[in-house]
Amino acid sequence: MSSKEQVVQSILEVAREMNESLARRIEIERGEDAPLFGKEGVLDSLGLVSFIVAVEQTLDESLGVTVMLADVRAVSQRASPFRTVGALADYVVAQMTGQHE
Amino acid sequence: MFTEELLRAADENRKKDAIVWRERHYTYGALLDSITQWDDRIRASGLARGSVVALDADFSPEAVAALLALVRAGCVVVPLSSAIKGQRTEFLVIAEMEAIVDLSDPAGASIQHTGTTAAHELLVRLKTIGHPGLILFSSGSTGKSKAAVHDFVPLLAKFAVRRASRRMLAFLLFDHIGGVNTLLYVISNAGTLITVEDRSPAAICAAIERYSVEVLPTTPTFLHLLLLSDSHKQFDLSSLKLVTYGTEVMPENTLRRLREVMPHVELQQTYGLSELGILRSKSKSSDSPWVKIGGEGFETRVRDGLLEVRARSAMLGYLNAPSPFTEDGWFRTGDAVDVDGEYFRILGRRSEIINVGGEKVFPAEVETLLETMPGVEEAVVAAQPSAITGQVVVARVKLSAEESLSAFRTRMRQYCRDRLAPFKIPQKVILVDQPMHGVRFKKLRRERI
Repeated sequence: MSSKEQVVQSILEVAREMNESLARRIEIERGEDAPLFGKEGVLDSLGLVSFIVAVEQTLDESLGVTVMLADVRAVSQRASPFRTVGALADYVVAQMTGQHE
Repeated sequence: MFTEELLRAADENRKKDAIVWRERHYTYGALLDSITQWDDRIRASGLARGSVVALDADFSPEAVAALLALVRAGCVVVPLSSAIKGQRTEFLVIAEMEAIVDLSDPAGASIQHTGTTAAHELLVRLKTIGHPGLILFSSGSTGKSKAAVHDFVPLLAKFAVRRASRRMLAFLLFDHIGGVNTLLYVISNAGTLITVEDRSPAAICAAIERYSVEVLPTTPTFLHLLLLSDSHKQFDLSSLKLVTYGTEVMPENTLRRLREVMPHVELQQTYGLSELGILRSKSKSSDSPWVKIGGEGFETRVRDGLLEVRARSAMLGYLNAPSPFTEDGWFRTGDAVDVDGEYFRILGRRSEIINVGGEKVFPAEVETLLETMPGVEEAVVAAQPSAITGQVVVARVKLSAEESLSAFRTRMRQYCRDRLAPFKIPQKVILVDQPMHGVRFKKLRRERI
């Protein structure tokens, strides 16, 4: 089982890649607190879709973990799992352990 | 009686080469003799007018003779090529096949009866009017294969007018409307059909050089691969006068590059469908994607952005699908088009449009741009569902050199930024090692994603 820290690192790796082509960059130096989407977030909905797909592919490639992040459940959660790097990592870990709401 | 007009030029040119097959030359005299032998064989086997007969074949002289004799005998011919592979049994059932012509036995060709009696309304209709028929299966790259039934008489009518006698390469397959069209064009004008077994760019270019091919009917995907392979530089293609391309959207970049490397060749888009036959078409210019479609026997109109065609040579209908015709006889092609005066630009199949948050994306536009990126050999774009935007644009990309997915995505986003609307930039990229076209040299969008 991969630890949350590994998941965070994978997400930050994708954020670094996205920053190469973003006008306003994701503040990766804030680590888990780096905002992604919504309040303070720099991604628009298209950027979010690309980001999430890339995270899914990276997790699969580097950790051998298959998760579906952009499903209806994620979109309908009251506290969006896409608001920060940390929230997304929590959501990934919950999916991996089957404890999603 | 049905092939009289078609074979007139052949009869006048008995000494001329009709077919080059496996490096051997067959004259029209030999072909006509072979057709006569088939007439006898068909009579002896008791095949009646309207019999539904499968012909497993490529463009061998024997197969061509069998096809023409079957038409002459008023049979409904179902050409099948090796490209259909696992679907053969299914096709035999769908077409209610009554007999099978077997050319594979070296001891001699035979006609085997299946014991089936065709009862489909369209097949009965052909039997009743006594006309030969043709059944073509759609290639199936967009779902289930559909069997289009044609009356052969209107298909042949187009070849009653003599045109230039050409040396043509049989690139499109024997069971494809384009292949049938190539064959009938060559025969009706006493041209020469150059057949090939290997359809790689190098083999095709070698055949063009060796046999002084003048016309190459092919697909945009093949032409793209040809440019990538640089085979055109290794062979003398100066005999080539005309390249026709159809069956899928032509990327503008491929067209522009072809223009550069083959300035002496006329490039012409064709618009053909299994259901309609091949429409005469005229490109605005050799490097233009705009094309006039129609000609004698064809009318066109656009409804809701989709092209509709009314054709004298249209099929009677499908054996295994509802009628695609409007009540007043227009065929709904399903192709989305732009219109400029009398010219059309084909954007792609409506069924392949990707809807990203309400915005439309045509795969061909994105594929075309991706294939102009350095290092991209092939790109195939399709939709994938997304909870956020409804669908996303997924690009499968074959690269010519090793590159990490992350590095390629970054490069792609930067490359596309000023060239594509943001929603068209693939949100998902998958790197692949395998070619993404089928044996018919057409991009496969559905099967892979």
